[in-house]
Amino acid sequence: MTDHLKLHDYREDDDTTRALRKVYAAPEGETYWRTLEARILSGLALGASVRLRWWDELDRWMRPALVAAAVVLLAAGVAMFRAHQVEQEVAYEAMLTPAPSALPVETAVRPVLQEQRETTFRYLMTP
Amino acid sequence: MTAAIAFRPVFSPPMASDTAKGTSEREYVIAAQKGSDAAFAELVRLHQRRAYSVARAIVLSHEDAEDAVQDGFLHAYRALDRFRSDQPFGAWLNRIVANAALDLVRRRKVRDADELPETVALPFRDPGESDELRRRLAEALTRLTDRQRAVIVLHDVEGYTHGEIGSMLGIPEGTARSDLHHARAALRRLLNDVRSDR
Repeated sequence: MTDHLKLHDYREDDDTTRALRKVYAAPEGETYWRTLEARILSGLALGASVRLRWWDELDRWMRPALVAAAVVLLAAGVAMFRAHQVEQEVAYEAMLTPAPSALPVETAVRPVLQEQRETTFRYLMTP
Repeated sequence: MTAAIAFRPVFSPPMASDTAKGTSEREYVIAAQKGSDAAFAELVRLHQRRAYSVARAIVLSHEDAEDAVQDGFLHAYRALDRFRSDQPFGAWLNRIVANAALDLVRRRKVRDADELPETVALPFRDPGESDELRRRLAEALTRLTDRQRAVIVLHDVEGYTHGEIGSMLGIPEGTARSDLHHARAALRRLLNDVRSDR
């Protein structure tokens, strides 16, 4: 606990930083940098000549392909939603509209039959 | 004039007159975006030292730093049409180089998984200068995480701010700040016995 409370000696950090700077010092001398520059530029020339390899080409089409896929997914989503909505509307309307079988049936007695029935009835009632 | 340009080799160093005219970095960027390889070569010349320092902070050896710088410039060249010329080219390039260096570290880790433990290479040019603190420091640096090591070098050696480091390494500024704190504490602890011996 007391170690944490002890004031830190920043000269120690200065020593470390100085040593770090030595460890990580960039090379000196123009010759080195000219050589590195030449190496980078030759790498670029080589890279430029082979840059249209299939995976680079694929990489080039990646963004448009992703956008196209997103549009297709969105359109499919909207279409599915619309279809579902229409289906629901049809089901709702079907519930409100009674089925033809449930309609009241109007019965009509054939006049011929009614006449026969009345004749029979009169015969029976006649003493 | 046109013939002279046509016969210039690809990525030839820029002519002395280009720099004499005081062409600004932004003009080089715009020219490079329009396809001028000479302008891009000038950008390489202007930024290779900073790019090297960024890469060296992340990788473990001088040779890997050179490879990362080369990869970084190649990525930047390929992505040049996506760069907005109103932003600083150096910061954009440093992010690309840092990514190339991080990628190299990851690939090395996979490759060296079964080999000897990693060591931070001391500068190749002055072996006689090394002393006990530097030797122990190089050793202590291997005990830090890759990110802690990169953060402490980018901050304490290269002088980048926490925000710049965060942007380069793709981490929040607060994380860079905390990594720096932990890296310093770890180095202090690891180097303590070297100092007490003196």
